[in-house]
Amino acid sequence: MVFTSFNFLIFFPIVIVLYYLIPSRIRWCFLLLTSIFFYANVLPLYVILLLFVSLITYLFGIIIEREKSDSKKEKFLIIGIILVFLPLFIFKYYDFLNEMIFNFMDYFSIRFPLPKLNLLLPVGISFYTFMAIGYLFDIYNEEIKAEKNIGLITLFLSFFPLVLSGPIERAPSMLPQFKSELTFNYEKAVQGFKFIIWGYFMKLVVADRIGIYTDVVLSNMEYHSGKTLLFTVLIYPLQLYADLGGYSLIAIGVAGVLGIKVRRNFNRPFFATTLSEFWRRWHMSLISWILDYVYTPLSFAFRRYKMKGVLLTVILTLFIMGMWHGATLTYLMWALFQGVVLSFEAITKNKKFAFEKKYNLSKKWWYIAFGISITYILFAFSFLTGGNRHTFSEGIMAFEKIINFSGSIFIDSPSNLIFIILGAFILLLKDFKEEFFSSRLLFFNNKLKIIRILSYSFIIILILLIGVFDAGQFIYFKF
Amino acid sequence: MQDNSFILNFNIIKKIVLNISLVFIVVGIFDFLIGNTLRFFYFKESSGLHYRTTYAIDSTQADVLIFGASTANHHYVPQVFENSLNMTYYNTGRDGQGILYQLAVLKSILKRYKPSVIILDHTARFNNSEKDFERLSALLPYYKDHKEIRAIIEKKSSFEQIKLLSNIYPYNSNMLTIALGNLEFNKKRKPDIKGYVELNGIWEGALDSINNKGDINNDIIKIRALEEFIELSKNSGANLFIIKSPVFKISPNNIDSLLTTISLKHKIPFYNFKQDSIFLNNPFLFKDLVHLNKEGATVISNIICDSIKQHL
Repeated sequence: MVFTSFNFLIFFPIVIVLYYLIPSRIRWCFLLLTSIFFYANVLPLYVILLLFVSLITYLFGIIIEREKSDSKKEKFLIIGIILVFLPLFIFKYYDFLNEMIFNFMDYFSIRFPLPKLNLLLPVGISFYTFMAIGYLFDIYNEEIKAEKNIGLITLFLSFFPLVLSGPIERAPSMLPQFKSELTFNYEKAVQGFKFIIWGYFMKLVVADRIGIYTDVVLSNMEYHSGKTLLFTVLIYPLQLYADLGGYSLIAIGVAGVLGIKVRRNFNRPFFATTLSEFWRRWHMSLISWILDYVYTPLSFAFRRYKMKGVLLTVILTLFIMGMWHGATLTYLMWALFQGVVLSFEAITKNKKFAFEKKYNLSKKWWYIAFGISITYILFAFSFLTGGNRHTFSEGIMAFEKIINFSGSIFIDSPSNLIFIILGAFILLLKDFKEEFFSSRLLFFNNKLKIIRILSYSFIIILILLIGVFDAGQFIYFKF
Repeated sequence: MQDNSFILNFNIIKKIVLNISLVFIVVGIFDFLIGNTLRFFYFKESSGLHYRTTYAIDSTQADVLIFGASTANHHYVPQVFENSLNMTYYNTGRDGQGILYQLAVLKSILKRYKPSVIILDHTARFNNSEKDFERLSALLPYYKDHKEIRAIIEKKSSFEQIKLLSNIYPYNSNMLTIALGNLEFNKKRKPDIKGYVELNGIWEGALDSINNKGDINNDIIKIRALEEFIELSKNSGANLFIIKSPVFKISPNNIDSLLTTISLKHKIPFYNFKQDSIFLNNPFLFKDLVHLNKEGATVISNIICDSIKQHL
């Protein structure tokens, strides 16, 4: 069951009613059962994996806390992480690593092929694995006490709004909420509903609409013109933002209605003026997780190697970030591209700052607009280096076509194109308003109830009118 | 001490329920107004895809009816059929639609009259694809007035009846197409001749090949739908012919085995042109890998007419 399915629209109101009907002290139990049911709805067998990771997390949390010796603590942390990571490794990385090793050995004419598993990746495994690892780290760093109730650990990892695609939450913020009396909170609930409505708009009107077009182009890149590919490259980041951002917003909203606060995942990323700022606004829960549990410990471990240590830390961090997104070499290329640009920005940071100060540029609108545009273009074009949609060589081929600016633009369905422009315009306009004029032109937060109600209604009507509910509105790409 | 939390919660919940109800009322009013406006203009369209479906379901009285997906829509030239068979013609083919859509259209037509010849251009694929069901959304505008097709539309999802409480839902994503269908210039933009849409241009790519080893995971619903289509056509007294259109791809023959078996079982003439040598090596007859251009369509229309004449 995904948030955009009709089943969820029936499931969620039932959950709300039952949740607030039962006594608040046992609401966490209800949430746990609901979460297990929700996850089992994807594939019942996957629940076993989730329960296995929960059990390991619970046990190793207690073992790490009880251990007095630092070296043993560290050993238990490593064992715990390996065991928690094991299902993710088998399902996501085994085949990739197997192939890499085979190809490498094959180069020296050594052949010991291991069988390919070809397993279907359990939904959300990357998210709950990272949350479990974060929990073990937090206990190791004595940020929190180990949880003695395995039910709460299981709920933390399986909490249904977050289990499928985050945000990647932390135990110090979630466990106390689950332990507290989960009472109805009007402000949280109202805010939650607002997030849900806007999240649906982002996902169904913007992301899925753009997806109709990009799916056709990205799966047949060799047949498309430079202009079509340029247009696709430029709208693809919007699709990603609206997709994951919208889904995260629904998750945050759903949790909010249940009285649970969840961290933000996106903060108007397309108004960042540098790539480093962009990564502080994009998929924030993942980036902060990587900073706290990968980058910081690695910088500490490699601090004696000075500049080499910093470089090694950056490379390893980006490697992990690339691998988290997908077990392919193209994702590593993508992460490497980000790394090169981020390193360039870091090296030139002081000079850039001095230059901006000298000419008083930082407040000038055209300079901000220039920074925003360059950052967007860099991010958009970074997907030509890799990702999950094409190979590196296909990306290069697409780049050459774009440079040649050949052919005419592919428009199979003008109405789809108009809906893309309309949805993207509304999304960017809202982000623009919140970025630069946050206290003006309030719609969802207007003092007048009628404006608020009309605003929600307008978005719902727009979803009904131009949201993508199924594959009915396909584009027939005739090669 | 008395616990006031329940009373407090109750008042807050009352407030939130009231606000949600207000949103629902406003949405309901707009949904009714916009949905009915879209409905009015949908059925007033005079050209385009919607119009062709509406015409097929509600108006056609043609002797020869063509059913199928894009290959049906682009491969059967009306003049050839009308001249050769001396019968009237209409093409109900629609891009991307499968046997469930075709069955629904046939059911609606048979409620009104009995055609003489039914030609079903079938893809010979019965694979389990959710998308084929989702594409039945093309029939949603007809749900209200055509009881005979409701069961088919409801196969789209378990909640279709609930979704159809919305007046906008059947016209989701169609407002611009509806507007265009009401404009005169749309007739020139995408012209059709009795439902048939010709394709121009030739295929400049290489001969492709299909690696598929045959039909796996066949969807029983689609097989039953085809059998029902055959039964309904036979019971109506029409001459039914099943055609597999040519493709510019080398493909194993066993892919079509199920379609051959069903045709044999029901004693329906089945003409398989998929690997026909006239078409396979001739890119000048194709617009793309799976669609014939106007010239190719004329060639196959003549061949089909010559073949089915023997049965009439």
